[in-house]
Amino acid sequence: MNRATKHLLFAAASLLAVSAVAGDLKIGIAEALTGGAAQYGVPIRNGFQLAADEINAKGGINGNKLVLVVEDEQGKKEEAINVFKKLIFQDKVLMIFGPTLSNSMFAAGPVANAAKVVAFGTSNTANGISEMGPYIFRNSVMESDVLPVTVSTAVKHYKIKKVAVIYGNDDAFTKSGYDVFKKVLEDQKIPVTTTETYVKGDVDFKAQLTKIKATNPDAVICSGLAEEAATLMVQARGLGLKAPFIGGNGFNSPKLFEVSKTAGEGTFVGSPWANTNPTPANQHFVAAYKQKYGAEPNQFAAQAYDAMTIAAAALKSIKVTGNVANDREALHGALPKVSLSGATGPFKFRQSVGKDGKPAGYDADQKPFIYVIRDGKFVLFTGK
Amino acid sequence: MEAFADFWATYSTLIFTVGIHALLALSLWLTLSCGLLSLANAAFMGIGAYTAALLTLHLHWPFPMVLVAGALAPAAVALVIGAPTLRLSGVYLAMATLAFGEVTRILVLNLEITGGPEGLNGIPLLTTWWHILLILAAAGFALARLRRSRMGRAFEAIREDEVAARMMGIDVEGHKLAAFTLGAILAGLAGALNAHSTFFISPREYGFENAVDILTMTILGGISSLIGPVLGATILTLLPELLRFLHAYRLAVNGLILIGVVLFLPTGLWDSRRLRQLVGAWRTRREGKP
Repeated sequence: MNRATKHLLFAAASLLAVSAVAGDLKIGIAEALTGGAAQYGVPIRNGFQLAADEINAKGGINGNKLVLVVEDEQGKKEEAINVFKKLIFQDKVLMIFGPTLSNSMFAAGPVANAAKVVAFGTSNTANGISEMGPYIFRNSVMESDVLPVTVSTAVKHYKIKKVAVIYGNDDAFTKSGYDVFKKVLEDQKIPVTTTETYVKGDVDFKAQLTKIKATNPDAVICSGLAEEAATLMVQARGLGLKAPFIGGNGFNSPKLFEVSKTAGEGTFVGSPWANTNPTPANQHFVAAYKQKYGAEPNQFAAQAYDAMTIAAAALKSIKVTGNVANDREALHGALPKVSLSGATGPFKFRQSVGKDGKPAGYDADQKPFIYVIRDGKFVLFTGK
Repeated sequence: MEAFADFWATYSTLIFTVGIHALLALSLWLTLSCGLLSLANAAFMGIGAYTAALLTLHLHWPFPMVLVAGALAPAAVALVIGAPTLRLSGVYLAMATLAFGEVTRILVLNLEITGGPEGLNGIPLLTTWWHILLILAAAGFALARLRRSRMGRAFEAIREDEVAARMMGIDVEGHKLAAFTLGAILAGLAGALNAHSTFFISPREYGFENAVDILTMTILGGISSLIGPVLGATILTLLPELLRFLHAYRLAVNGLILIGVVLFLPTGLWDSRRLRQLVGAWRTRREGKP
């Protein structure tokens, strides 16, 4: 490092020190802003920023301003740990939002838990996240809360007797989705005619679909990401497979329709957030997001926006002393008590049980929205 | 002292990663020193990591034993696949080892015990700074001794000219297999140490991209001496962190620096011959001799 860069670094550091005056509430944001997971990380960051700006514009929290320290964790486990440590030990933030992927949370979560700092995931849906320890929170609704509702709604609507299952078996997200589907089908006593798999990047699903068609199922359950699911639907219709699809969280992307057009008609999908949900909180969020970023928000932005609102509510209920360790602990004590109605609907926390049988972190206790695809669009299912 | 405690708390994982990457770069340096362009080291790292993590999680072995097993498991695999694949040379060997890496990844992805694509989480934090330092120092010392030994000279002879080496009575196949297997041991150790310092492992950490990362570290540092790979690993690990203040531009700057190094220093950052020349030129200028 030469002298000029050193000076620059010092200048930057002193600037930071000046801007973080007493009374600022520092919140760490560790999201994947570059790399493959950035498609989720960037809307999440936007959601946080939008909520924090709104709160600050209204005078902050008990007169204190929210200051976001945003770091890129690239969706890599080592980076997530490094970023968490930087935010905890160097920036001395009160709590951390993130990381984006469940895998990164599995690596970085224990760091926050050991340092007694709240790590609040807004997009981690894997099983076992909140079991890592009492400082791990999330408001992302797990597949195991969404899929039972999706399946039972679809079963009732289509009078389904037996289903076929297809899933991507090389991806943590789609595989864990499959595990949940499997359990749901066992619980609801719905026989499975056949279970087929594919891997990420596959473009030809005809072999699997032909097998599925031969077993003549009433519906096809698919745990996959939007890219593969779209191609899969088109090829299913091409083979004359008319059974409707039931999808997991991976279907919740506009990308689904870019390829599938109308091939996905009648597909049932569950989501923690509904774009068209008419509550004032949601309408305000959708309008404000569009105005600030010039783009449609997605569920990840909505969950991040709500998470910041939840943290703000907890911060409002505690007295910030300026002693970081005490303030972190107070925040940790106040968070689980928060319950509010945000863009994703009524929300409260539910404590989970760790591997050792002791109470651990907190999951979201929320009802999912069920969508059905009509005319190449997600339409909120209202029972008709 | 408090400043140091803060520094250590923030950057210990980063420093661990530097050490582990240095070990990986050295493992590849060893195979390259015998003229073998292998892309299997990421897979060996993965085998070491999974073996070690599973032994800790299920059988609760003591950590030193876990490390030994993490080193021996990939070595055993290297012995088995080395015999047929090491007959290939150059880019064909690279392709064969690449295929082996993919096979390993897909196997891990589909096994029940490895947790499939979800990986293994909840691995206890057992790696400490002195484990890494000790293993790295031991590896460095052993490799430095190896270079000057009969075996090391044989590696060099094979790298320079295989036919000539064979004519001189060197057991080419045996030495190649030895270099490949010893490299696998080092990579496996790195994997075991990594698994016990990051709480979590998954198959995507040991794929093609990572094999190329290891190769980049080794080549960037330079393979003419042992310092090169360690230097390359250190720089490639620290650079993204040092550039963090650039925010969105840091990966671009990181890439530009790499391109600069490859363009202007094609033999790597640490080229002993060039350094000797530089020092020599500087001496003559200072002493005023022609």
